[in-house]
Amino acid sequence: MTSIIETTNLTKIFGHKLIAVNNLSLEVEEGSVYGFLGPNGAGKTTTIRLVLGLIRPTAGEVTVFGERMLPSSSELRRRIGYLPTNPKLPPKMTPIMYLDFVGKLFAQNKDQRTSRLSKLIRSVDLLPSASREIKGFSTGMVTRLGLAAALMNDPDLLILDEPTSGLDPTGRKSTLDLIEELDNKTIFVSSHILSDIERICTHVGVVNEGKLIYSGPIKEMKKQIQRNRIRLELDGNLDDFCEKLKSINYVMDVERRGDFTIDITFDSQISTIIGLKQVIELLSETEIELISINSSTSRIEDAFLALLEEEESRGFLRAVED
Amino acid sequence: MGSLEQSKIRRTIMPFLAIFQADLEALLKSRITYGWLIAGVFLQVIRVLSNSRITPTSVIIPLGLNDFIIIWSMLIIGTTASTVSSETGELADSIMSKSVKRQDYIFAKFASRIVYVAIMYLAITLVLVIASLRLAENDYDIYGLVAAILFVLIALIMLTSLGVSLSTFISNSVIAIVTLLILWYSMTAFFPLLDMELLSPSNLIAKMPDLIQGDWTGDSWITAVIFGYISVVFTFLTASYFTTKDL
Repeated sequence: MTSIIETTNLTKIFGHKLIAVNNLSLEVEEGSVYGFLGPNGAGKTTTIRLVLGLIRPTAGEVTVFGERMLPSSSELRRRIGYLPTNPKLPPKMTPIMYLDFVGKLFAQNKDQRTSRLSKLIRSVDLLPSASREIKGFSTGMVTRLGLAAALMNDPDLLILDEPTSGLDPTGRKSTLDLIEELDNKTIFVSSHILSDIERICTHVGVVNEGKLIYSGPIKEMKKQIQRNRIRLELDGNLDDFCEKLKSINYVMDVERRGDFTIDITFDSQISTIIGLKQVIELLSETEIELISINSSTSRIEDAFLALLEEEESRGFLRAVED
Repeated sequence: MGSLEQSKIRRTIMPFLAIFQADLEALLKSRITYGWLIAGVFLQVIRVLSNSRITPTSVIIPLGLNDFIIIWSMLIIGTTASTVSSETGELADSIMSKSVKRQDYIFAKFASRIVYVAIMYLAITLVLVIASLRLAENDYDIYGLVAAILFVLIALIMLTSLGVSLSTFISNSVIAIVTLLILWYSMTAFFPLLDMELLSPSNLIAKMPDLIQGDWTGDSWITAVIFGYISVVFTFLTASYFTTKDL
């Protein structure tokens, strides 16, 4: 598989004070939807700016489409579309004017620009507002227009930095729907919203304090931290039930989470199915109603937090291992 | 010309032209422009009306041009010394992430600001010149008059270039503006006191009555050439720095 983005020991230190990206090596395969996950301040946006050649690495290098990315790599950026976090667009322009301007930046002729911007304005559902000034737009509308601008050059690589930031649930859904509809593109999405990453991405990279702590398929990430753990949502008197659960041999831990939720951890030597069977049998002897069962290994939040905890617990080993 | 060649030329100049056009349009449509035009024209008309009976053209016109050195230079400093620094977030995200060369962007910014200042200067000066020629006693030489107008234009181009340069080197707009204010008014007020008249815009104005009357002494030319040279040097230094700067 061809790598579209490849970083090798990428490091960025700002002003001898802040290590924003720390020896980061990742590969993004062609055609994948790569989620770049990390808490606020983890180095996601800095990594993106390095990939785009907007800033220079302190050490290491970035290659995109097999060529080294530099501030002067304007031809490489011809194949890239970029949606920044909360894009700042010229307030006095209309969507038509702005997309036409973006088309000119890509040296598209008039016919190309007109054809493309018409399609894109319709695709992002901004046709009714096509002649309005951008300064009156909501956050969701600005994001959609930013996405249209990112697609103006029909890029092979699309980089989205927190595309659902500041959006209400409807706005988030429509943005994610738009992204899901894109095909024949390699997409690199950075976010701290785990459910968004889980929904649209095939691969994930987890970054914390500038360091990449996992990179690979999402399913592998969840498998790696499999803990034989399930979450039950129940309705009824859970106190007695929890006591009875602890008496089951295979149950290692029972944790109450609020009035309706229990996390059960089984012995890692046994299959989750066997443990679950025992729990269901116990449940059938009570008057408690089962609302839902969720395997914790399918929850990306748990996988993400487990990775962060594991990374921090390695302490000094992080410096000597690679 | 083949389509490949046309495409190459289009790729080369279109981003520059797009940024130049967008910036110039935004400036010309701004409220500052309307205010400047109205105030500038009004001041010049008042000056000519109140002086035309006792003062010839060769004196009124330099007085009017001096407004740009002392008063309107503050507006020029305000609009140029924040050119790049005020756009830092927008710049990287919306423009430089596209297939735009760094040089295209920075040269387009220099060009748009210089053209803007030139348009404003020439529009207001045109009113001054027409009013003076109609109402005041004419003692001008046409070539001297044109040269006088051009020399002040070169001084303003230098000011504009310094403004865009400082806004590139200094990320804080306020610091860039203050630095340029100090520099410009030092050149205007203090350099003559330090025997550095050739670097002083006010020296240009002082020699202007003779120049407008057709007396072509050497100093004005030398000052204009020095200002032109400073503009070119700073433009290219800034472009060189900008091509490698982190955005």
